[in-house]
Amino acid sequence: MNEDIKKIAQATNEWKDKVVKPKLKKYKLEESPTRFYTPEDIEEFDFLEKVGYPGQYPFTAGNDPAPRWQVFAAAEAKESTRFEWGAATSSGAGKYAGFGTPEDFRDYLVRMHEMGRNAGPNFAFDLPTQCGYDSDDPRSEGEVGRVGVAVDSLRDFEIVYEAYTGDLDIDKVSSNFTANAQAIVIIALYAALAEKRGIPLEKLRGTPQNDILKEYVARGTYIYPPGPALRLFRDTLVFCTEHMPNFNITSIGGYHMREAGATREQDLAYSMAIGATYLQTGIDAGVDIDSYAPHFTVNAFGGSMEFYKEIAFQRAARRMWATMLKERFGAKNPRSMMLRQMGGAHMGYINATLQRPLNNLTRAVIGGMADGMSGGIPFGAMPPWDEPLGLGHSLEAQQLGHDATRIMIYEAKLGEVLDPWAGSYFMESLTNEIENAAKEEFDRIEEMGGFVAAIENGYVRQAIARSAYERQKRIENLEEFIVGVNCFAGPHELNVMTERSVDDVYSAELLATAGQRKCESLALLKKERNDKDVARTLKDLKSAAGNEEENLMPYIIECVKVYATLQEICDVMRDVFGEYKTGNI
Amino acid sequence: MEQDRNIRVLMAKPGLDGHERGARVLAYGLRDEGFEVIYTGLRQTPDQIAAAVIQEDVDVVGLSILSGAHLAMAGKVIEKLKGQRVKDVLVLVGGVIPEEDIPKLKEMGVAGVFTSGASIKEIAEFIRSHVS
Repeated sequence: MNEDIKKIAQATNEWKDKVVKPKLKKYKLEESPTRFYTPEDIEEFDFLEKVGYPGQYPFTAGNDPAPRWQVFAAAEAKESTRFEWGAATSSGAGKYAGFGTPEDFRDYLVRMHEMGRNAGPNFAFDLPTQCGYDSDDPRSEGEVGRVGVAVDSLRDFEIVYEAYTGDLDIDKVSSNFTANAQAIVIIALYAALAEKRGIPLEKLRGTPQNDILKEYVARGTYIYPPGPALRLFRDTLVFCTEHMPNFNITSIGGYHMREAGATREQDLAYSMAIGATYLQTGIDAGVDIDSYAPHFTVNAFGGSMEFYKEIAFQRAARRMWATMLKERFGAKNPRSMMLRQMGGAHMGYINATLQRPLNNLTRAVIGGMADGMSGGIPFGAMPPWDEPLGLGHSLEAQQLGHDATRIMIYEAKLGEVLDPWAGSYFMESLTNEIENAAKEEFDRIEEMGGFVAAIENGYVRQAIARSAYERQKRIENLEEFIVGVNCFAGPHELNVMTERSVDDVYSAELLATAGQRKCESLALLKKERNDKDVARTLKDLKSAAGNEEENLMPYIIECVKVYATLQEICDVMRDVFGEYKTGNI
Repeated sequence: MEQDRNIRVLMAKPGLDGHERGARVLAYGLRDEGFEVIYTGLRQTPDQIAAAVIQEDVDVVGLSILSGAHLAMAGKVIEKLKGQRVKDVLVLVGGVIPEEDIPKLKEMGVAGVFTSGASIKEIAEFIRSHVS
């Protein structure tokens, strides 16, 4: 202990004795309800090693010394151009959306572009599409076009992308695809579309979610067992690295696990473990880490209302990723070490309440403030306040969210200082604490044999559910408070509402008939296409699927080009790989 | 004879929706409240759910749906249960259910609808007061 720290430690003890103790005695408290941090809390702190500079290893202070959104902030304001927040980084696609048939979604996109949307499609697919079923499968009944757009074949991509021609052609705009188990088919559809349009694959920009491992523990849209699923991931990694160098490979989503109940530390540990598993597939396939790691992105990490901890979490996440890439995977290119996120700190969508829902705007602003202070990008005040009211945000709620973000940037000037908490005794100490706790859980997963083993033995799924249950118990036992839900919910409180006149962004009438219309167009497609070509390409795919060394991407592209359907392709692989089933609670 | 038998609850996830936080939290919670709880796991068809209701001889079936497919799914499960001529089973629905759909669900025969913010205790109470 150096002399200064010794002096401070002495002073701290005196303060506790003379100032704190009497107060606690007065309130009959054993422990203080507050904390105060001093240099003692980061005694061994090495600024250059632990924080460094924005844009430099270990990226604790952020990825970018001059973020684009800050550079162009004034220009955007003068032009009053509508800025698609969140579009500034990894992919550049616009707001996440999708519903109905491809025609419905295309018309929606055209309408949004007329209203100022200026970025490519960011596909929400319906559940049958996410789970590898066609619209005419009995399991799809009632689900077609519901949580996203229904896509069965290349014909459907052709229809949606009728909204993207000329200045918005796919060599100019970027697309986002929330596709996991069947991501390889979705990427193949995009590649086939480009080929039809005469656009070289290397011009394509976009991001597939392509994060299958978290599906087994959080989001639930898996198809095959984890082993074969990881092989498909490898095939996309190898193919995209070679042929689609401007296309991201994956968008890892720690946020989904948090939404499912994971604690902050579990979220961080599991996300790192999943990332490591994906990175390893490239190494095992003999690809140079620096050729593909820069195309790994993150959907969003974290998400909770705990303001300070979410800031520390973001800083810890960037440092852990950078350290892992450099030390474990031997990356040399600094871009490989950057944790590139579409979003950043945020309130956590699960924390949006149905009770007095306009309060969600306040919550979103707090999340946005945490984002603005965490060395990230302005993901902004997300989600729109009507998130828990059902699918599809009203345009009014989106407007309020955009405006809140603008106010944070232009009026509060949150972006003027990068990583403003750098060097804070408190924040550095908390960052270390979260990183260490996550490392401990990460090591536990490693000892089990990695993330795939921890899926197969049920550990992660169980751990997340237990955490979710613990939180619920705390809420019900009034150890944790949610305004308007378990406190301040008396009859004299007002339920303040605002107008949602434009809440039909997804037309209820179209939704009601989407299933029927989609089945009709699929029947027509099946009549028009050449069945011999379909059978031949599916047969080729099947024999390739049986050989672990083969890359399936080219085979699947051949299938989709002759209008084989998503389910036909997935069924071939189901035959070879089998299907995954989750266990009990 | 059956006095001491615990109330048996089947927690089910109909359709393709993979969000199971609510279903599993409630399964743990109802277990701690003294019920016997069976969880179906994901992606159950209405036929599978109806079969599980009979096989497990449950008093209550909870359908957890967050995908917007609640009207279609609940309707189909209730139809299958009626077709099976089983004893009275209390059907509950939980998830993201817009307010205007709640009366429609009740009309179909759903006894209770529980949305975001509902507590385990209130659901347990509801079950106790409706299953005798």
